[in-house]
Amino acid sequence: MDKLIYVAMTGAAHIDRAQTLHSNNLANVGTTGFRADFAQARSVQLYGEGYNGRVYALAEQPGSDFKQGAFVQTGRDLDTAIAGEGFFAVKGPDGKEAYSRSGDFLVDPVGALRDGAGRQVLGDGGPISLPPYDKLYIGTDGTVTIQPEGQGPEALVQIDRLKLVKPDRGAVTKGTDGLMHTKNNTPLPSSPDVSVVSGQLEGSNVNAVNEMTSILELARQFDLEVRLMKSAEQNDETATQLLQIN
Amino acid sequence: MMSALWVSKTGLAAQDMALHTISNNLANVSTVGFKRDRAVFEDLLYQIQQQPGAQSSQDTTLPSGLQLGTGVRIAGTQKMFSMGGMQNTQAPLDLAIDGRGFFQITMPDGSIGYTRDGEFRMDQDGQLVNSQGHPLEPSITIPPNADTITIGTDGTVSVMTQGNPAATQVGTIELVSFVNPAGLQADGGNLFSETPASGSPQSGTAGTDGLGQIMQGNLETSNVSVVEELVNMVAVQRAYEMNSRVISTSDQMLQNLTQNV
Repeated sequence: MDKLIYVAMTGAAHIDRAQTLHSNNLANVGTTGFRADFAQARSVQLYGEGYNGRVYALAEQPGSDFKQGAFVQTGRDLDTAIAGEGFFAVKGPDGKEAYSRSGDFLVDPVGALRDGAGRQVLGDGGPISLPPYDKLYIGTDGTVTIQPEGQGPEALVQIDRLKLVKPDRGAVTKGTDGLMHTKNNTPLPSSPDVSVVSGQLEGSNVNAVNEMTSILELARQFDLEVRLMKSAEQNDETATQLLQIN
Repeated sequence: MMSALWVSKTGLAAQDMALHTISNNLANVSTVGFKRDRAVFEDLLYQIQQQPGAQSSQDTTLPSGLQLGTGVRIAGTQKMFSMGGMQNTQAPLDLAIDGRGFFQITMPDGSIGYTRDGEFRMDQDGQLVNSQGHPLEPSITIPPNADTITIGTDGTVSVMTQGNPAATQVGTIELVSFVNPAGLQADGGNLFSETPASGSPQSGTAGTDGLGQIMQGNLETSNVSVVEELVNMVAVQRAYEMNSRVISTSDQMLQNLTQNV
């Protein structure tokens, strides 16, 4: 049996994986602060008996795209977007510090600041909790100031500063919870260089045209692999015919 | 089967729900005291197909792995409690709240509903009721011989009667506020009810504690911005189309596979 069919088969299987990755990007085209994932294919040569002609494809995700997404003006005082590089620090589902770009914050009944998915938002002094307030301001460096309930603008209280971090490129990778994690989950120090804008949300940075084109291209490649499988089958058929004795 | 199919399916379902939210907002563009909803998207869990950093041999590790996302979901909807516009109606029983407060309405089952809709009227006994006929809490009754009704910014209701130069105070409208109004449950009929997420209602006099003053002769219009909703609708529609395109592409790939192999 010709091994060609296995090479074509792994190719098709890995195209399927890359296709899933791109369709996940496209499904998250409207997710606040979502970072698109990259897909790449690597050739892995198989060494063995005879001529080393078999090179398999291996789909990989080398990382996420950290380009800035488009800003959406909402006018809501708790909506915050990061201008430029940097991340908000939130408490991940495992209780460890993780990083995200989604700033659709809300206040829960006990006054804790949470993101849209319900994760606690961290400040420089730990999880941020807010007393009842009339107005809230988030400064460009992430400082949270409130005008306490029933008091005038002369009684502004500074609560905390959002913990904003600026990791080196490649220092954080996306975890299975969709949040960014450092290696070994070591917390990053807060950075003064990150600036935020209040009243805006950062949309997803998925480029829908790119994703759509990649998906169509991968579909054509998949067809090609199928064609190869068909050829392998035909080769085998012809070989069987040649060897038939009658 | 191709997992891209299921991932795109989550995209379609989420965009469909987002469109539902937008259409409800647009349908309520002229509902008094309506607060618009916003759909919150969240990416689903990722599956590790290949662990980055795993040993590729005794001395080397894989430089990059493969993590596949499984799609998107709507984590919830957020009610946006920004102020709507003020519409001057001159009607004495039209009230608007210029702040964070809510009116309290006694529901038929005795529980309290909360509303920003201040379109009140009188029932046959002169009691102030909302448009469904449920009475305002604390209950206020206007005497039948009242000529004019004045409602002060602090909620004091007073009436002038024929032949009596002094105004008679007939009650006070109390307002309540919530720590997290976005956690209130919307019950329809412009009414909200308290939930563990909203916190318990803090009642007070209008105009104090940030509850907001009561403005007689005004109504608070819906806070839906038509332009914003229409722009969101375009974005949702295109995202929906692209996700459905991925499904048809995956389908063609599968078709090709089944026909040729």
